[in-house]
Amino acid sequence: MQAVKINKLHLDDLPWIIEYDESKCIQCGKCSASCSFGAIKPVVELRRKPSGGLQKPSFDRLLVIKQQVSFEHHCRGCGMCSRVCPNGAIKAVRNPNDRYAVRYRAAKADSLKKGGRSNLNTEGRTLDKIKIGRISQMTDPSLDAARHQFELRTPFGRVLSADKLGLHNDGGKMELSTHLPPNRWIYPIILGDMSIGAVSWRMWEAMAIATAYLNEVMGIPVRMCTGEGGIPVRLLKSKYVKYMILQIASGHFGWNRIIQAMPDMVEDPAGILIKIGQGAKPGDGGLLMASKVAKYVQEIRGVPKADLLSPPTHQGLYSIEESVQKMFLSMNAAFNFRVPVAIKVAASVTSVSVYNNLLRDPYNIVGGFFLDGLAAGTGAAHQISLDHTGHPITSKLRDCYLAAVHQGRQGEIPLFAGGGLGQTGSFAADAFKLICLGANGVFTGRLLLEIAGCVGNETGKCNACNTGLCPAGIATQDLCLTKRLDIDIVAQNIVNYFIATDIELKKLMGPIGNSTLPIGRSDALITVDKHISNRLDIQYIC
Amino acid sequence: MTKEVFKIQTLTNNKRMSTQELLQLINSKIKEGYTDFDVQACGQHNIGGSSWALNPNEELHFNITNPGQRVGAMALKGTNIYMEGSAPADVGWLNSGAVITVNGDCGDTAAHCAAGGKIYAAGRVGTRSGALMKHDPKFDSPEFWVLKNTGSFSFEFMGGGIAVVCGWDCDDYESVLGNRSCVGMVGGTIYVRGNIFGVASCVEIINLDDNDINFLTEGMKQFLSQINKSELYEELTDFSKWHKIVPMPQNHKQTNITVAEFRKNNWIEGGIFGDFIHDDFVVNPLPATSEGRVHIPLWHGDNCVACDICKNTCPQSAINSEDKKYYTNSENCIGCGICEAVCPKNCWEIISNRKEIS
Repeated sequence: MQAVKINKLHLDDLPWIIEYDESKCIQCGKCSASCSFGAIKPVVELRRKPSGGLQKPSFDRLLVIKQQVSFEHHCRGCGMCSRVCPNGAIKAVRNPNDRYAVRYRAAKADSLKKGGRSNLNTEGRTLDKIKIGRISQMTDPSLDAARHQFELRTPFGRVLSADKLGLHNDGGKMELSTHLPPNRWIYPIILGDMSIGAVSWRMWEAMAIATAYLNEVMGIPVRMCTGEGGIPVRLLKSKYVKYMILQIASGHFGWNRIIQAMPDMVEDPAGILIKIGQGAKPGDGGLLMASKVAKYVQEIRGVPKADLLSPPTHQGLYSIEESVQKMFLSMNAAFNFRVPVAIKVAASVTSVSVYNNLLRDPYNIVGGFFLDGLAAGTGAAHQISLDHTGHPITSKLRDCYLAAVHQGRQGEIPLFAGGGLGQTGSFAADAFKLICLGANGVFTGRLLLEIAGCVGNETGKCNACNTGLCPAGIATQDLCLTKRLDIDIVAQNIVNYFIATDIELKKLMGPIGNSTLPIGRSDALITVDKHISNRLDIQYIC
Repeated sequence: MTKEVFKIQTLTNNKRMSTQELLQLINSKIKEGYTDFDVQACGQHNIGGSSWALNPNEELHFNITNPGQRVGAMALKGTNIYMEGSAPADVGWLNSGAVITVNGDCGDTAAHCAAGGKIYAAGRVGTRSGALMKHDPKFDSPEFWVLKNTGSFSFEFMGGGIAVVCGWDCDDYESVLGNRSCVGMVGGTIYVRGNIFGVASCVEIINLDDNDINFLTEGMKQFLSQINKSELYEELTDFSKWHKIVPMPQNHKQTNITVAEFRKNNWIEGGIFGDFIHDDFVVNPLPATSEGRVHIPLWHGDNCVACDICKNTCPQSAINSEDKKYYTNSENCIGCGICEAVCPKNCWEIISNRKEIS
């Protein structure tokens, strides 16, 4: 008999417990075959036959499904087992006595890593406590959302105030004497920001196809940010690159191929996004676990198979002014000042200082300010960063907008907000409220994963993106798992979701009587929460 | 027999009669038997509306100058209204049977919600004209005739009836219907002569058929005589310049190519990763067999006693043996691990089938 030692990891330490009903099991093996984590296995167990003590004990041998107890093969609660079970004999149930995080650190002397999203939601969502309460009725007519022609586009790129336009009178004709900073009118939702590597090639291509389709077939001018894991050369050299915002983060992964492709590019990219930080793990660099650094990822990034840790800062940038002079200038120069260059930072108590400083940029080369809130997702992070660092998006976006308003410079550097949008079901409502609070647009990555079939949630389900064992074939580079993902269905579902979101945005614009995006129209918002009312400067109602 | 015309001058000694006073005066005179009125109005609203002759066999006649808004509003069959000169907004609002003639331009929302009768406009009509026109099949279809053009957003939400926009004196106009007309139109017909631009996508612009030509040929005579422009008959009955606008059928759905077709036909050939990885884009079921298995069994035969327990227990019947050597048929095996579990001699090992794309 194997003795049990009290310090050994035990089933009751794990976050998820498999509930299994052997009387319903037909021993088809589909559950264990589907579990990418190897968390369940068929085993033979003994059952003592009743003998009343008159005979020597005898046993039945019974084939059952048993949960594995190990750090490497523990259940993540993804639910693939219950999905494939023909009889509903098995499911993962949250363990209220979970001590996994303690046991892991104690056993491994290493920080706990996680993918997906923060699972420590203690504050509730501010956006859910805000309603759109200023309805146009007799004061000014509401618009018919289904039939009115709305203009949903938003500027991406530096917008100059009239006095800086450099207009002069040339023999009675108005002429521009200066080079205008590049500006693109785009849909106010930017997709992606997820790298090749963090997500599978099928997921990444599905997002790119959906973006192209929305533009070319539906006439919805969405843009996709590539994330920083390089861009396939075929895409760079295609006309579709005009829908792509190329990202450069502290790792500078993949830029070699972008630069090599420049002479053969037929279109300029939609923009460039300098990623300084991300909301899910602010102040920490990118992390791609070795298990996801597949051969093609190695090629495109120019690295060997290893855990890829990007530095938390862009090395060589030591101040805001220097980042403008060096990073913005270089990225503007990359496409000869034709392509808008924006920056993404994690929301932080310091965000306003950064934004104010960028507003003073004398070269007019800062084309957008992306703020990423703490509820954002990530492919992999230290759990301590995910759960305990960061700043919610709503108040910081508002702070930045009002800081610009204070100087009469709102809209000059367009604000984009992201991080946990759509978490409680309606992405359009979240987007609309942030736009009313001052955002020019919003961005989302995690929502796309959920559209694609990600089973994770905010209360600890799955969130195993860091393992490379994504059961949905999304956050993995494994061939078997990626092949679970249907590229056409994923792309179609993303397209469908955006068509629905487009309808829903109009359903919110109509009642407040706006034909164009209600950027900064905080008079449309109300809240029953006095603190939110005070902090965001919106009307308190009861 | 010539009937006595009751004349009303609404401005006397610089004092203007209110709308209420005027309408009550007209109605009291109708009750006395008057049917014909000459109203020199001063901007009063709703003249000629919701009234009917004392004698059901008689009709009401109004000659109006300088009216206010909603001339002929809620007017019934048997009411005839004639205006020399232009009229402001809402001419014939909710018209339910009157014949209303404006020998001039109309303001905005002319014929708004008209559900009966005829409205003849000898000039241009304003924005949102003809919006929400309807046709109750128990009554004659409403008709709305316009000699020149309409403003933008006209015929919004139109549910029935007939509108005729003759586009005369409109050669310089990009569109005789302004911009964004017909939004939400679900019924009725609009005949248009001249340029059309920017109508809503819920309607289609098609050619006239014989019935349309017959209707216009007849109706045009009446319209032109009503507005004293019969000399235009030849010009306006050159049907090569006419089209008609009808709503798309309700079941008509704009069909776009699917995303899958887009990937096949429009997207970068072979996929964006196609130059360095090979993906057949096949989608594996859950659980999968063959190369799609997450786990695969390996047989080590050293201790095998050929008891066949694995073979008999395998839920997919994927295990075969030959000369006491056991092997799996990967076409059937899903990698469940039951063979490993049941073998009394530990001959099966389940290993991970993790691999990268190449």
